[in-house]
Amino acid sequence: MIRQLERDGASSSLASLVDVTYRYPDATVPSIDHCSWEIGAGEMLLVAGASGSGKSTLLRTLNGLVPHFSGGRFGGSVVVCGDSTRANGPNRMSRHVGFVFQDPEAQVLGSRVDEDIAFSLEQRGVPRTAMRKRVEELLDLLAIAPLRHRDPRTLSGGERQRVAIAGALALHPQLLVLDEPTSQLDPWGAEDVLASLSRLNEDLGLTIVIAEHRMERLLHRVDAVRWVEPGGARGVDLAPRDFARTVEPIVLPAVSRLGVGFGWQPVPLTVKEARRHAARVSLPSSRPIRRSAPGGVVMRTRGIGMRHGSRWILRGVDLDLRQGELVALIGRNGSGKTTLLRTLLGHHPLGEGAVEIMGLVPGTKDPAGIGRSVGYLPQQPTAMLFAERVRDEILYTARQRGVEVDPDVMLAMVGLDGLGDRHPRDLSGGEQERLALAIMLTGKPCALLLDEPTRGMDAWRKDQLIRILDDYRRDGGAVLMATHDVELIAGSADRVVMLGDGEVIADGPPEHVLGGSLTFTTQTQLVFGDEWLTPGQVLDAVRSRATTSPATWLETSAGDDVRCSDRE
Amino acid sequence: MDDHDGLDSRTWLLWGAAASVPLITGRHPVLLAELLLIVLAVRSVCTPPERRAGWGWLVRLGALAVPIGVLFNMFTVHAGDTRLFRVSDDLPLFGGTVTLNAAVYGLLSGLTVVALVAIGTTVAALIDWSALMRLVPPRAASIAVAGSVAWAFLPQLSTSWREIREAQTARGHRWRGARDAIPLIVPLMAGGLDRSVTMAEALEARGFGGTAPAGRRSAWPPAALGAALTMAVVGIYLFAVGRSLGAAGAILVAGVVALVGVRGGGPTAGIRSTRYRETVWTRADWLVCGGALTALVATVVTLQLQPEALRYEPYPSLDWPVTSPLLVLLLALLMVPAVVAPTGPAGRHT
Repeated sequence: MIRQLERDGASSSLASLVDVTYRYPDATVPSIDHCSWEIGAGEMLLVAGASGSGKSTLLRTLNGLVPHFSGGRFGGSVVVCGDSTRANGPNRMSRHVGFVFQDPEAQVLGSRVDEDIAFSLEQRGVPRTAMRKRVEELLDLLAIAPLRHRDPRTLSGGERQRVAIAGALALHPQLLVLDEPTSQLDPWGAEDVLASLSRLNEDLGLTIVIAEHRMERLLHRVDAVRWVEPGGARGVDLAPRDFARTVEPIVLPAVSRLGVGFGWQPVPLTVKEARRHAARVSLPSSRPIRRSAPGGVVMRTRGIGMRHGSRWILRGVDLDLRQGELVALIGRNGSGKTTLLRTLLGHHPLGEGAVEIMGLVPGTKDPAGIGRSVGYLPQQPTAMLFAERVRDEILYTARQRGVEVDPDVMLAMVGLDGLGDRHPRDLSGGEQERLALAIMLTGKPCALLLDEPTRGMDAWRKDQLIRILDDYRRDGGAVLMATHDVELIAGSADRVVMLGDGEVIADGPPEHVLGGSLTFTTQTQLVFGDEWLTPGQVLDAVRSRATTSPATWLETSAGDDVRCSDRE
Repeated sequence: MDDHDGLDSRTWLLWGAAASVPLITGRHPVLLAELLLIVLAVRSVCTPPERRAGWGWLVRLGALAVPIGVLFNMFTVHAGDTRLFRVSDDLPLFGGTVTLNAAVYGLLSGLTVVALVAIGTTVAALIDWSALMRLVPPRAASIAVAGSVAWAFLPQLSTSWREIREAQTARGHRWRGARDAIPLIVPLMAGGLDRSVTMAEALEARGFGGTAPAGRRSAWPPAALGAALTMAVVGIYLFAVGRSLGAAGAILVAGVVALVGVRGGGPTAGIRSTRYRETVWTRADWLVCGGALTALVATVVTLQLQPEALRYEPYPSLDWPVTSPLLVLLLALLMVPAVVAPTGPAGRHT
């Protein structure tokens, strides 16, 4: 049963939405449908839900971007710190509400970090002395003082996002709203940002509302979760543990999924909490590993290197990709993952070494020739859509690759049946990504290269992507996927290649490469050891032992309800 | 402390204008060569290393613009006394006598395009857009928003272009004709607009433009800005047709009207913005501005008194261009930045 969060009576309301309904211009259905919401002062709230459920729209009502910037039909009222967004646009609401956007690059307004932070203060006419003092405070608060003279465009994603938070806080707003601020960051950048937010909330009492898909670093930090229902943005606020008990496990962090599966009470939100419960679970010393037998080599690189000036971007990279295999390419931002993928496609001239893809050598022929053998999904796959109809996108690719396909079959393969006559840009974000995948699979290329395909994806879309890739691999396709998503790798990759400063520093099965690492380790490994990568593996092992000797596999305390969840 | 040591952005804008005007006015080969050398020297000496784009693209632009200019002019302009060969009159537009005069004019046109692009990209690499945006008065906030959106649109186009081209290549896209541009152009425009909207949202959300009380805005400042824009267009037209004094007058009026429009005080004014760092007008800025203004005035005066020293016409006969040594000397003052500000981007601040 879903129980709505009961707020402490002492916590006064900072913002309230009353019966808000909003429909974008030309939209036929409302993005927010009769939504009411109270945000208490000093709270840290997570807004979660499937992509397209209206999270961003809901957040944008808090500072008046909706409807003042977006247009459309707006009903109800939003009042923040006593000011209604009906009478005050985002400009005036910036006194009360700081807003941080998803893309750190798109919100840089100054040529230096300190200038960027001071931007709002300058606009408000704050005297220079007061302005300098406030900028100094924010530099210290967000731990970015050493970056003060840097050009924001030269910073890492995490640093840039912290600069954006400092800029949003410059006017001392009481409410900070963040729209998926970590979706484009690597795990370390995300951790930096979320730790800073926790500090702001706990030490300064700043009220924070954050929309996010990646919950493993966030769920234990928030006071409540608002689960937004698709198509209406209604939903209720739940305490994190209640949320973990009631929501579909697929959206939860791995430790919470383990908790739900085993019936641990309370449901753990952190690795530390999960370890306490895990001490009572007895698992086999080793896990039977089922891995598909890879076929022939599709792509082979030997000693490839590339340099930019005097700096090596790639050096001595040896890599084999075989039929039916999914190889994950991991490494910090700037370690050379994207450069390697682009080099394999012939978009970067090779400094040294050799690449061969099904007998073709990239760079010696036109890249389009390689494109007919290898599909490539860039970081923004939707950027390739240009046709008037979804079906035409598939037909165009088929023509370019010199193959004949039935577009409806291709669309059905990625779950887009019946959408062939729609305009590609009228599709939702998830549908556009699946269309991009269908485009790349047209003509059955022998290999598929994917560059950060799950950035900003919700759990269902990731699951769908992996299913499509599994089908492709069963048909003999090979996949090379650059990603930071360790949990995704753990559940899908046959092999993991770790790049560091352009060199391969590890290459092997996921449990070996991810195991023992301080940074590239799954939550399940942290709880149960290197051998166990995912909650599904642990629960399967428990289930299979339960059928043989139920007394020995789990030492439960009284009242623990063991549920080897089917939801895994 | 890594503060920039370059010139103020306004100085670079004036320098860019002074270097562009002689090129826009006419195709004088001596002045073209001089300005091309000056801009390449300033570009290589003043642009900070992290903003240097290399020379390859400029060479490629020249390799494209010059032959196009020469061929287009040769086959469409059939005037001049130095005949090369004849194309059958049966060919519409292209038929007629092909002359060396037309080829020379085409060559000068191609090189002018290269020089103007070099000036534009040099100024773009050296100015500090955010510092310029801060100089915009609150009344012109909407103009600055539009400018910043446009500015955000431009630099990301090249990155987007590369990404889209690679993604389409992976679909098997190849260049076979003009229709093959559609898969590149449509996503480029759509993605650029998306990013620009995000930038505009960020500006609004961070209180850009101050908080002039609602309902107290006067309608006349936008009208004044519209009038200023009209006068500026008239001035550019007069300049293009050689009425340089009339052009100078129109542009002066445009400037005054625009200033009154954006500075208009009284009860309708918004909050006066402050500056985090005060820009410092240095001796180097004075020197560069002095040189640029001198070059600009020399150009306008020469256009009025001796237009043939700026405008070279290879028709009807291919003569050696009339050159004003004084103008050549005064335009050389555009080299001052290379002497007084050899490194660093714009925006010297306290």
